[in-house]
Parts: sequence; C-alpha cells; structure tokens
Amino acid sequence: MLVFTRRRDEAIVIGDGIEVRVLRTGKDAVRIGVTAPHDVPVHRREIYDAVRAANQSAAAVPVASLAEVAARLRLHPQLEPVE
Amino acid sequence: MTPSATLEIVTRFGTFTVDPDDIVTFAHGLPGFERCRRFVLVSAPALEPFTCLHGIDASEPSFLTLDPQRVVPGFHTPLADADRRRLGVEREEALLWLAVVHIDDATARVNLKAPIVINPRHMAGLQVMNADTTYAADHPLDRD
Repeated sequence: MLVFTRRRDEAIVIGDGIEVRVLRTGKDAVRIGVTAPHDVPVHRREIYDAVRAANQSAAAVPVASLAEVAARLRLHPQLEPVE
Repeated sequence: MTPSATLEIVTRFGTFTVDPDDIVTFAHGLPGFERCRRFVLVSAPALEPFTCLHGIDASEPSFLTLDPQRVVPGFHTPLADADRRRLGVEREEALLWLAVVHIDDATARVNLKAPIVINPRHMAGLQVMNADTTYAADHPLDRD
C-alpha cells in the first residue's frame, strides 16, 4: 500500500482523471473529496462490502418450491407494471 | 423487421425462453459479481410474483427480485446525479426498480437498502448504494 501524508486542501492523483483531496481533518474523521470520471463508481468500502455479502448470499439460496415461498409472502397488489 | 431469435435460459428455478431484448447491461456488474455484466430479466407464471435476474456472463449469478412497490407502497429512493448519468436518464422517465430477495428455510427477506434500477430505454442497470437510506437490507416478507 502506498502511504502519503497530506494536509488540508492537499490531494493525490490516481491514474487519468481521479483526484482524492483532503477537505477537512478532525480528531477521529477526515472529510475527503473524490473527483472521478463518470464511468468510475465511487463507494464507501463498508457499504459496498455489505451489498456484496447480501448479493452473494441471495444468489446462493437453493429454492425447492417457489410457489410454497410465494404463498407465505405478504405483498401488495401490483399497480402500474413498467413496460 | 424479423423477430429476434429467442434464448433458452437455464436457471435453478427452471428453464425459460427469453427475448434478447430483455438483456440488461450492468457496466460494473453487481457487487460480488463484478465480472458478470449482462443479465436477462425472466418473467414467467412459474416465477410469480418474482422476476428472475439471471446473469449470462462469468459465474452466471441468479437472483429472485420483487417490485419494491409491492413490498412497501410508495417506495422511493433518490438516484444520485452520477447514477442518472450512468443509466442515461435524461428526464423524468419511468425506471424499473427491483429489490433482491433472499430466501431460506425459515424466512424470506428483501434488500430495500440497495435496490437495482434499470433504464428500460437503454436496458442499462446498476445497484443503488445509499449511505443514508432508512430502508432495511433485510426487510421481512413473511406474513406474521
């Protein structure tokens, strides 16, 4: 891992067009600004990891009988199906 | 115009015939399945009330999903400008929202915190990741 010391308003540049800038520092937290091209998604690590774990768990579920599962669900009627 | 050839999709919920027009591209895959970029939306009576989102690349992940409106009427989650640009949303157009369902022996739950959104005009999709939504990632679906 590359490690840098940065002060407030200082930045690092990653590759072509990604900038990570320190906006504010505090005792336990740092406020960071990320500038990236539109096609580069930027996420908080812990949120991405939580969604990844949930997806992997959902994709791994073996399902015996969908009709049996569907019968026990509490669902509201479909209003306007999207074409 | 000649009708496009249909595809036969084998899922763990059965084998279904789908139209190539029902293929959705996720430019970055889905978290956990980043290398699967193309998914097909499978709707069939045998799957009701679910829609199956079935990956046709890489590890071919397969999800059951539900319209979040059927779980929580009035469901709404904001779409960030960056996500709108990624999906090519130009105006107030109808988007397709899907929530990933998780089923085990005892419970069925749905992820309302990170819904999947698709722009049907471009058949482009992504999974929304909100830091500050009040919806739960494990919203219970079972009757009491």
